[in-house]
Amino acid sequence: MKRIPLAYWFLLPAAVSIILFYVLPVILTFVFSFTSMASDTGIYGNHYVYSKNAIRALEKSTLNRDIFKKIIERKYVFDSESLKIISQSKIEKKTQTEIEETLPGTVYSTEKALFEALDKLKNKPRSFRDKKIISRATIRSLNGEEFIEISEMRVAFEKLQIEVGEEDFDLITEVTNTSWHWTTKNYREVFSNPDSWRIFKNTGLYVTLTLGLFNVGCALIIALLTFYMSLGQSKFFRSLWLIPRISPSVLYVLLWRDLMDHSGFISYVMGYFGVAPTNWMGEFPWVTIIVINGFVGASMGMIIFSSAMQAIPKSLLYAASVDGAYMWQQIRRIILPQIRWPILFIASYQTLSLLTSFEYIQLSTDGGPARDTEVWALHAFHTALSNYWGNLRYGFGATLSVVLVVIGIIASITYLKLFKFQVLLQEPPIEN
Amino acid sequence: MKVKYFLSFFPIIIYSITFAYARDVEIGFWTKNDPIDYRNGSIKMAVMILNEELKIEGADVQVVAKIRSWDGGKAWSNLKQAYSLAMEAGTGPTIILSGHEDIAVWGNSGLIQPIDELLDLDTWPMSNIVESLWGPMSWNGKIWAVPQDAEARLLFFWNKHLAKIGYSESDLEALPDKIASGSYTLYDVLKDAQKMQDQGVVQKGFGFYPRPKKGGDYWQFYRAFDGDMQDSATGKLVLDKQALLAYYQFFHDAVYKYEVTSKNHIGTSWSNWHAAVTSGKAGIWHGGTWQRAEWVDMIGFHSFNENVGFGLMPAGKSGFKPTTLTHPLAYMISRNNDELSQLAARIIAIATEPRINSLHAIKSSHLGITKVQDAQEFYKNNQWPSDTSSLLENAFSLPNNTSFGQYDIAVWNGLTAVWSGRLTPQESVDYITKELNATMGGKVIIK
Repeated sequence: MKRIPLAYWFLLPAAVSIILFYVLPVILTFVFSFTSMASDTGIYGNHYVYSKNAIRALEKSTLNRDIFKKIIERKYVFDSESLKIISQSKIEKKTQTEIEETLPGTVYSTEKALFEALDKLKNKPRSFRDKKIISRATIRSLNGEEFIEISEMRVAFEKLQIEVGEEDFDLITEVTNTSWHWTTKNYREVFSNPDSWRIFKNTGLYVTLTLGLFNVGCALIIALLTFYMSLGQSKFFRSLWLIPRISPSVLYVLLWRDLMDHSGFISYVMGYFGVAPTNWMGEFPWVTIIVINGFVGASMGMIIFSSAMQAIPKSLLYAASVDGAYMWQQIRRIILPQIRWPILFIASYQTLSLLTSFEYIQLSTDGGPARDTEVWALHAFHTALSNYWGNLRYGFGATLSVVLVVIGIIASITYLKLFKFQVLLQEPPIEN
Repeated sequence: MKVKYFLSFFPIIIYSITFAYARDVEIGFWTKNDPIDYRNGSIKMAVMILNEELKIEGADVQVVAKIRSWDGGKAWSNLKQAYSLAMEAGTGPTIILSGHEDIAVWGNSGLIQPIDELLDLDTWPMSNIVESLWGPMSWNGKIWAVPQDAEARLLFFWNKHLAKIGYSESDLEALPDKIASGSYTLYDVLKDAQKMQDQGVVQKGFGFYPRPKKGGDYWQFYRAFDGDMQDSATGKLVLDKQALLAYYQFFHDAVYKYEVTSKNHIGTSWSNWHAAVTSGKAGIWHGGTWQRAEWVDMIGFHSFNENVGFGLMPAGKSGFKPTTLTHPLAYMISRNNDELSQLAARIIAIATEPRINSLHAIKSSHLGITKVQDAQEFYKNNQWPSDTSSLLENAFSLPNNTSFGQYDIAVWNGLTAVWSGRLTPQESVDYITKELNATMGGKVIIK
């Protein structure tokens, strides 16, 4: 038997983690994206409600009319069946006895009428709970009823002596079932909703600008500038740029909010130039989200690029200097080609990161004003998990996430092609 | 003698043994509770009383309340999210106190149970609850919750600012009645706000200073232009395009024609908004009765009564009615085993006792929920509820419909698009119509 190399065993924990925390969630998201799951349908199990809407739908359906009449008719009957249930309950014996003696055969059309009759008994039920037990035992209707289990509903049909065929029973369960169902409607909604395109464009703009201006652009500039500084100076500036990243995100955005609010620092300074105080975050929402994210994002590229630059043999730069290359020529001809791999890594990693992270946008503009800064990931979060009135649409939110996964895969493949990943992976010719 | 002596103590010994072995039953209670509220306090008191009742009844059970509450900016959506997810995971509370609009969502998904199955609503104190509050507690022909508080939402104005633009003492006194009769409209608000700005009483953009965040309050402007929200026959949501257009046009006019509200007003922080309205920096604004408690008790605006006047939310234009939104919170019971449900129902009934309810009503500037509170010294001696409770006659509440959240967010996005100037009112109405048709299909009647 072939032995499994030891290296695979070392990789096993990572592989299990990837399957559990990446592959499985993606598969489940894909599955949920084909459901109508929401906070009003629930996630687990079924819930059958003979609501007004359901009754209306049954009325319009092909359901046998006699069955329909029996379903909607409401009455409370003291027959042998109901008396048996009452006798087995915890209701006081003297009350049970009086009911058995005085009420058999009586029928009431409303619960209120039933309760009035019970209140007239000498040994009337002691509590509301007892009255409810009697009500549940005597009711002969499905109108307004609800069932958690389908078996409960079958029992109720038997109790009401409603004989119903499998086809009609399936129809009834389908109409009364308020829980989720399988659907492709979510995908149709993504493409037919006019807001989707706008949010898609917002996402593209946000990722491109933040990536271009800060996460790669600004990071590269800081790395290059600090590369030509003395060690002490470069350490100081790099540490300065790390502050946004190491600050807790809530605190960091809170500082920005205070800076940009009506009575914040910017309004205060602008006041000297005769500018009326305003909510600057609302005035320039795009600048806000790009700068807030960019200040955090730039530091990662800065560290990676700086390290990569440090790894470039100094002799190359010295030789270039001797040959009369200016700083720009050194950067253009030596440094940038040497750090192409880190640039690919930062560009692709940060693209995926920006596509999926939304915490700074949520904390600053929350996608506003008027959804102007709503990006796809935030849209998915708002849809699935954060609604002011509690309408959480898990299924549709999953659909939005699937779209994001697809975009992420396309972006990754594009980057790999664009930066000639295969060439980068080739072994250095010197070692051949 | 000794035996007799022992026997005389026998009942006490039995009583003590029973309670030494009384089972503790945990009842979870979740809600939004700000420092000015008495929601958690009411439940603590109710549990204390229930435990005494259980002892006297000889029950072998004692209740331990596990209270968890949310506060601050996004408390409502966080609470609702937490409840929905926790219930699905089987770790939710027994009692949830949240907005009545949750009844449809959680009732439909089977997370909560009808309360009329657990409580006799014809008995005290439920029998004394103001009739109109049962409407918002109902859905699908059943009553699912017991109201916890009520309030009106009002138009507020700085009296001295209005005086500076020409209002006499008698004009100021008559203003609430003029609003109530429909002769002072929302457009009069804009005109007065503009005068305040023109005469330098307030800065530009501070004449009319609406709520800075999303909320049910904005539906008052739609209703002020006679917009229907729900079809009474089918229970479906309704979008009246004409009323929606007038509502959007009003805010467009406020921002771009009268320039009394700033383009980027939405998103202003609550702290700045409170500071502006309580310092006189803002001229006219709208808010809820409970906010008086926030201004007086939390911000220290003790001269509220002398400085601020209030009335209903004015009619949109002449011929329409003034309005106010009431948004009663509702005690709901999660689907649970019988024992927990019965105990939860008893806790809710006790917490609804007028004397306990008055503590919350007075402390948080809400309105009481029972009729008898008007006769209570503690309640009636407080000027605020007696001044504002009559406004409830014009009150409407949000529809209990499973899709309300989705419908609300679309209409809100339409408003903010107009507000920021990205769309004209007509373009926004067309956009929303298209969006609702695409996303909600037959769930909304668009007329």
